[in-house]
Amino acid sequence: METINFVLSGLGGQGILFMTKVLAQAALKKGCRVMGAETHGMAQRGGSVVSHLRLGDSKGSLVRTGTAHFLLSLDESEAYRNLPFLAPGGALYANAGPRSFPRGEVRAYLEKKGIRWRAMEATRAAVDLGAPLSSNLALLGFFAGSGEGPMGPRDLEETIEMISPERFRNQNLRVFRAGLESAGGV
Amino acid sequence: MTKEEIFLGNGAVALGLLEGGCQVLTSYPGTPSSEILPEAIRLIRRENLKTYVEWSTNEKVALDNAFAAAAAGKRAACCMKQVGLNVASDSLMSAAYLGTTGGLVIVSCDDPGPHSSQTEQDTRLMARLAKVPVLDPSSPEEARQMAALALELSEEFSVPVILRPAIRVCHARQGLSPGALKDREGPASFQKDPLRWAATPRYRLVLHGELNRKLEAVRKRFEGLSSHNHHDLEAGRRYPLGIIAGGVPWAVVRDILAEEGRGDLPVLKIGTPFPFPEETARLFMDACDKVLVLEEPDAVIEYFLRDGGKVRGRLSGHVPPQGELVPEVIHGILDRVLREDGLTPLSEPGGKEVRDLVMGLELPVRKPTLCPGCPHRASFFAIRKAWPKAIFTSDIGCYTLGLNQGAVDTCLDMGAAITMASGFYQAYRQDGVEQPVVATIGDSTFYHSGTAGLLNAVYNDARFILVILDNLTTAMTGMQPTPGLGIRADGSRGKAVSLERVVRGCGVDFVEVVDPYDVGAMISLLKEAQAHVRDKGIAVIIARHPCVIAYREEAVPRPIRVTVTEECKECNICLDRFGCPALYHDEELGRTALKPHLCNGCGVCIQVCPKGAIVEA
Ligand code: SF4
Ligand code: SF4
Repeated sequence: METINFVLSGLGGQGILFMTKVLAQAALKKGCRVMGAETHGMAQRGGSVVSHLRLGDSKGSLVRTGTAHFLLSLDESEAYRNLPFLAPGGALYANAGPRSFPRGEVRAYLEKKGIRWRAMEATRAAVDLGAPLSSNLALLGFFAGSGEGPMGPRDLEETIEMISPERFRNQNLRVFRAGLESAGGV
Repeated sequence: MTKEEIFLGNGAVALGLLEGGCQVLTSYPGTPSSEILPEAIRLIRRENLKTYVEWSTNEKVALDNAFAAAAAGKRAACCMKQVGLNVASDSLMSAAYLGTTGGLVIVSCDDPGPHSSQTEQDTRLMARLAKVPVLDPSSPEEARQMAALALELSEEFSVPVILRPAIRVCHARQGLSPGALKDREGPASFQKDPLRWAATPRYRLVLHGELNRKLEAVRKRFEGLSSHNHHDLEAGRRYPLGIIAGGVPWAVVRDILAEEGRGDLPVLKIGTPFPFPEETARLFMDACDKVLVLEEPDAVIEYFLRDGGKVRGRLSGHVPPQGELVPEVIHGILDRVLREDGLTPLSEPGGKEVRDLVMGLELPVRKPTLCPGCPHRASFFAIRKAWPKAIFTSDIGCYTLGLNQGAVDTCLDMGAAITMASGFYQAYRQDGVEQPVVATIGDSTFYHSGTAGLLNAVYNDARFILVILDNLTTAMTGMQPTPGLGIRADGSRGKAVSLERVVRGCGVDFVEVVDPYDVGAMISLLKEAQAHVRDKGIAVIIARHPCVIAYREEAVPRPIRVTVTEECKECNICLDRFGCPALYHDEELGRTALKPHLCNGCGVCIQVCPKGAIVEA
């Protein structure tokens, strides 16, 4: 199988690690070989955070620039900052206003490279459900609902159910489903 | 086959150590090594093992404790980050000579980048300096195998062995299939032999000779260790260019060669950089006209190859002398070398267009900041307000981020807040100047290496204010308990060691505790402390409030709903000197505003605003 490369970006504290964990665990269940890289330490205190996830036979854990199939970003600026990772024909999912995203000059670049994009206001969705720190799950739902990647919405949902700490489980699932719905993929 | 599970690289190290029969495991947390001990504890619980674990007060303490266990015939390991090995180096150098009876593995995690360290130093060079074997894994799976192998080698050759995973191994995630774990039998039995265990310089020479013989025997073993030192040369074929790589760069270059379909470039993987497998390397070198060496973070293999004419690497200027060798960097290095040699280059990576595009966007720089509600922020605000002209020496932890508030001027190494404070004081006093100095250090860092410096300062009559930022945890590295709590690594009860008593024990007479959430109280205490400093000696203030991440509920028991009113006059004191991420300047409103979803209701900003514009809603 050809390696499928994900890059996840955002700010420390937004739950990038948990998001990566869900995707990795779901992929493992599908029988994929999983390799990933995470940011720990100083940057977790609100700095730029990037996670890499590779499904397939890769030996290294880092995605090379220009080779990511998917970029999922919990912050608009971090989505732009990590654009160099995306391969032509890849896809970008961002926590941003769908009307204003992406900025004009970025839009031109994405169109030229055949990169698809979708944006949702994941933070707002999470706040509306009383879980302001769960924008990660909203965006994950949104991605899953768009029908891309080897893992379907059910796989991700089951994984969230399995690995969420007890007291956040139901809330996590609610936010995930809200994301799913807003992608039109229920 | 057992079920595959996803392991963090540090979890894979823990798994390998336990599979290798590790009976004693010690550590001091530090990125990127911090998760090894917690992951081991998770496995120990799950498999009901008897392995002894401890968070030691510092890395030297961790190494000495593990060494003693290994001297008593057990299999032991200690884990730390690369700069932690500096702290433990006194112990390491000597332990290499004394050797072991059981097994002793030192896991020292490197941080090329650096992502979360003060240097990019290379543990492999430290291994060479100490003359102990070192293993360099390229993935979590290999780290797991090497951890077990290291324990076996150590016991077989009676020499400590270093395992050096780099950050991209430590913080990689990979699916692994763990087998069942069981306790290793073998009770502690220390064989007295003072000639060896308490060797005098005379006998150290004998031990040095012994160590050299051990290393030669280990080298021979490494020559045949094809699971970790291997190449893909075809017999009899000559190659214009070969690649020698170790650790993470090996994994990266393998991926690039596979993607590019470059079977014409042979690769030698070196998993055991010291003692260097000379014969294996020689064989490879002989088949290649030129060789490119890819290793991190420094040059080690390249030095051992000793053939300047043939070898390309850091010493020849082909590989950048600092920074992480991420895939695009290795792609660029290899491509340039191929072109230089007139060989087929790699495919065009592109990317200039998008890099220029991103550069032109002028994206905001995302500096790490203290969390909303962090008690350190309140402390720094008070310190800066009480003593704007002081020199602010600080230390290593979340609170280094007091930088953002202009309340941190220095950060040298663990414990240097105190030693640099006394150093500054004496340097000024020599000129007849009483320079105010305020030092800040975290509770865990103080226990790690604060006392020697404090004793020294008291003894030599240095005068400064020391603020111990006591948030009841080791926050930066993932909330490990400190000796102050009396909770041990495995959650069992230990004896709590009172910070106040330790400080008094160092000879300090002024020791006061304050809750930094009460900004006014902290400021008046700081002023009071300065009077003591002037007339009597060092003053220590313990600013105690729980970390908001480690203790969500206790830290803010009654969240306050804050709001910013029209009274805001845009003085920006709250943004510049305090800087809670929940506060920002709203262009449209023309004043400070609040992001309620980030605010945790600590209410400290209310005390910070000089105009009374931040109020309870
Ligand atoms: S909120 Fe207060 S401190 Fe902040 S800008 Fe307004 S007046 Fe100044
Ligand atoms: S109350 Fe003020 S200082 Fe505390 S978290 Fe909220 S905005 Fe920040």
